Amino acid sequence: MTTVAQARPAGVSGWSRIWGWLRNPWGRPRFLVLVTWAYILWSIVPVLIAVQFSFNSTRSRTVWQGFSWRWYWGDPVDSVLHDPTLAHALIQSLKLATADVVIATPIGVLLALGLARWQGRGSRPSNFLMLFPLVTPEIVMGVSLLLVFSHIFMFIHTGTLAQILGHVTFSISYVVVIVRGRLFSIGRQYEEAAADLGASPTIALARVLFPLLTPAIIASAAVVFATSIDDFVISQWLSKGGVTDTVPILIYGATRAAPLPSTNAIATIMMVVTLVVVTLGFLAWRVLTRGERHGATAAEDFGAFNI
Amino acid sequence: MARGEIQLIDLRKDFGELTAVDEINLRMPGGEFFSLLGPSGCGKTTTLRMIAGFERPSSGRILLDGSDVAYTPPHKRNVNTVFQNYALFPHLNVYDNIAFGLRRARRPKDEVRQRVARALELVQLSGLEKRKSSQLSGGQQQRVALARALVLNPAVLLLDEPLGALDAKLRKALQLELKVLQQEVGVTFLYVTHDQEEALTMSDRLAVMNAGRIEQVGAPRDVYEDPQTLFVADFLGVSNLMDATVVSAEDGRCRVSVDGFELETRGVDGKVAGSAKIVIRPERVELEPHGAASGPNRLPAMVERIVYVGSAVKVIIRAATGEMLEALVQNTGTELPYVQGTPVQLHLPAEALRLLPDQGLGTASDEVTAPDEEAAATA
Repeated sequence: MTTVAQARPAGVSGWSRIWGWLRNPWGRPRFLVLVTWAYILWSIVPVLIAVQFSFNSTRSRTVWQGFSWRWYWGDPVDSVLHDPTLAHALIQSLKLATADVVIATPIGVLLALGLARWQGRGSRPSNFLMLFPLVTPEIVMGVSLLLVFSHIFMFIHTGTLAQILGHVTFSISYVVVIVRGRLFSIGRQYEEAAADLGASPTIALARVLFPLLTPAIIASAAVVFATSIDDFVISQWLSKGGVTDTVPILIYGATRAAPLPSTNAIATIMMVVTLVVVTLGFLAWRVLTRGERHGATAAEDFGAFNI
Repeated sequence: MARGEIQLIDLRKDFGELTAVDEINLRMPGGEFFSLLGPSGCGKTTTLRMIAGFERPSSGRILLDGSDVAYTPPHKRNVNTVFQNYALFPHLNVYDNIAFGLRRARRPKDEVRQRVARALELVQLSGLEKRKSSQLSGGQQQRVALARALVLNPAVLLLDEPLGALDAKLRKALQLELKVLQQEVGVTFLYVTHDQEEALTMSDRLAVMNAGRIEQVGAPRDVYEDPQTLFVADFLGVSNLMDATVVSAEDGRCRVSVDGFELETRGVDGKVAGSAKIVIRPERVELEPHGAASGPNRLPAMVERIVYVGSAVKVIIRAATGEMLEALVQNTGTELPYVQGTPVQLHLPAEALRLLPDQGLGTASDEVTAPDEEAAATA
């Protein structure tokens, strides 16, 4: 580095010095690092400000006047703990997300197994169709689900059940895509080895394939939870109002009326819950794949959105 | 009859348009170390996978000790496999990997413990029970895979290029070890490889495969010394091939003409007439000084190039017939009295010259380099 510095002509201007620092081909890719950090700051600062004002001691969401837990539980009327609308919304959101994980994950895993091992006619279109819910605009899906529930399956009324079915419908695709990616990277060799050693297909699935799929299953469960708790459009279309309104619906409504910092508080709670779930999923993934990780990254399972 | 006899009868496997295995017939007696040797894509692995049960034959029969197992699912066959990349279960440790098959067979706990311990001893890995497969070296993984398959006491052990992923030195050591192990346990080993040296060193007998068919079956020595087809001659080691015309063919002895020079060769089974090929191994080509006493089977030639390969010296020669030949001279420490351009006399002993019908090499000529490429790719 010192030789490079000495080799530079004396008296270069500040700008070209910065330019040279950025594009030094022998150093780290500083320009890329700069862009990355700029993006992270840009995306995280608004969130941090929203979180900060959930701790404001007054009703203002723009002027900071000191720290307090008032909007979480301190305020006897308007805090998340004491305002029944907020509490219900939070419960409804968690209820939907949990039900979604419990229902969509097993179905998705089975579909992935079937699709990955199905070689015959029709397997390619089916594999492709699995991506449909991911690319369909959510509003279209919400409207069509509402039509289905109000005209065809009329025994299903809008409300919690319809919302769960709606969430499951689009969540299954995430599970399928993630688990199928893992199945392809595992290959058939372990199944064959298990069969070779006397394991029937069912035993091979339970003793070999399932343990090897666990990281992907956990990853997909975390993704399903995060997308479900995040969902607005489908929850809104299939809600019958009142106690079936989820947190996003409530925040949407509140910000159009007279928002209080309690809105920020409930958003903060939701964010923390999602982060905790995804982090737990990631840690479980790290632990479970300890033995087989050779340069493979979580992105391969968490972000295995390749066909 | 020893246990573990395999018989393949008109066995065929098609993948769509492609015929991977083309009606082969083969008998492997029990207790033998038998190799299937051939270039990549010759159908040897497909044959092994059919015997293991991973592929269903398109037609034909697979007899294991007399009973047809062609349509028995793999988990019900008394054969076990050592996979090319070992396929050790990454979520289990060494002990549980080896015990996997015994537990599926519902053996009592004590028996499982004893048999796993004995298997580990057999492959010299005692003490590594608690390791995960990722914490083992390639050679150790290979041994665990062996132990995992052998612990079930199979009638036949199938090995699918098990040494392919190891480095050359370890491969050499394990070749001998595998052979010793096979003699110790007395189980039939069916070994699939593209490495002719591996097949020659280890096998009791071997079958050379090409394009879904079996070219020749026999003991390593017979197959190497007496290749029946051009493909076998070419695939097993370097061969010098020359175009020849048959002059006369009598019992045991043939006379051929190579570009005007008449040579005597060993006989050939079956009829050969008209144009044919003669084959000689590089180590059987003898070099004599130019102007030495002449005799039968001698050709004038000129040294084209000398390549030092360590244990031997490769001499590339252009014979007076125009053919390029290769001679392998053992390195005895003395410098060869030849340089590029030295005229020499070639002696091609009649008993080392083999006459083969000229039926074309098939895919052989461009496939002979494949093993090295494949080894490089897996390394």
